[in-house]
Amino acid sequence: MPPPPLPQQLVELSELIGRMCTAAAGALNRATAALLESRERLAVQVVAGDEVIDLLRAQVEELAGDALLFHSPVAGDLRAVVSAIRTAGDVERMGDLALHVAEVVRMRHPEPALPPEVRPAFAEMGKVAVHLALKAAEVARTRNVVLAAELDTDDDAMDVLHREMMEVLMDERWPHGVRTAVDVTLLARYYERFADHAVVVARETVYAVTGQEPDALPI
Amino acid sequence: MRDVYQEQLDELAGALACMCTQVADAMRKATRALLEVDLQLAEEVISEDVRVDEIRASAEEKAFALLALQAPVATDLRIVVSAIHGAGDIERMGDLALHVAQAARRRHPHPVLPAEVAPYFAEMGKVGVELALKAGNVIRTRDLARAAELEKDDDAMDDLHRHMFTVLMDRNWSHGVGPAVDITLLARFYERYADHAVAVARRIVYVVTGQMPGPLTV
Repeated sequence: MPPPPLPQQLVELSELIGRMCTAAAGALNRATAALLESRERLAVQVVAGDEVIDLLRAQVEELAGDALLFHSPVAGDLRAVVSAIRTAGDVERMGDLALHVAEVVRMRHPEPALPPEVRPAFAEMGKVAVHLALKAAEVARTRNVVLAAELDTDDDAMDVLHREMMEVLMDERWPHGVRTAVDVTLLARYYERFADHAVVVARETVYAVTGQEPDALPI
Repeated sequence: MRDVYQEQLDELAGALACMCTQVADAMRKATRALLEVDLQLAEEVISEDVRVDEIRASAEEKAFALLALQAPVATDLRIVVSAIHGAGDIERMGDLALHVAQAARRRHPHPVLPAEVAPYFAEMGKVGVELALKAGNVIRTRDLARAAELEKDDDAMDDLHRHMFTVLMDRNWSHGVGPAVDITLLARFYERYADHAVAVARRIVYVVTGQMPGPLTV
């Protein structure tokens, strides 16, 4: 059977990346709910669900490999294929980070991993991160570079939340001891990295479409 | 024509191996800056990170040129795709060394590490640097036995990482929360650095055998 034509493969690649981002958003959304409400079963579901994202990544790599092999794309098409390969790595990592959040919930259960006063900040980090992943999904599907540029700004909110969380931890009056501080430190880091990868997905898309890094564009 | 092609593939591998040497050097210096509270050395690591980024950019250009002009197939295609992945991993290793240096700079003139955990970080640094150098070696030689060694070295890193947490969680931990937060993040940087080195070696195994070794535990 001859391979599908390149344009069709490129659409499929975008579609797969979009699905990966949506799946990662869903995973972190559930992991955050599990974290805030100490729901162990939900956490277990997130851990088990990570496989789906890994499988999608394998599909991206296979399809991208076929595209390179059968069509030897050049210029913009080549960029699209290579950026799909790279992006799939970022989104798989987003899935891993959602899984890490879920693992902390599981490890601490039935105790809540978070003390009550930092929960609102984590609810917010979860919201920002999930929103970023959904936007990245849309960028991947639509190749909208203007929308892609928004993610950089959206990520600033995450950086502020992350910095604030570090200040709370470093405050001498932190009453919850070292173990909780270690958990909170790592959890905050997972959300921050998740958001970073979503931004990279958008940047990769800009690069694939325009051949330039986003910073070079007047948007 | 074939010779130019082979030369291009070698150059690509050379660029990646060179990145490995760079990030090994960065981690060696960053660890020393951390242990010896050396601000100047920390600054050096921070300003030199652009070099890694530059080599990555040139490696990617080489990879693109190969794909566009030579349309490689089979093993050669796997080499180029693996190089694209590898370049990303190694660049990230550079970033993680940079994070270590930034931590040293942020707390200067105070040491980040209490004296009793310093030896663990010296060891994590050593294992990390070793992993980066071995990854570079595997890229050059495609030596599968060497690639398998990285997995063992990474186990040593995981043990150190786990042990670090035991120390932090111990009742006798007397340094409070602030240093514990710093140490948590630093230990994570070393662990991730090692994971990326292993990922690079695994890609080489894939290039040679056509199969990925078992899943990487993260």
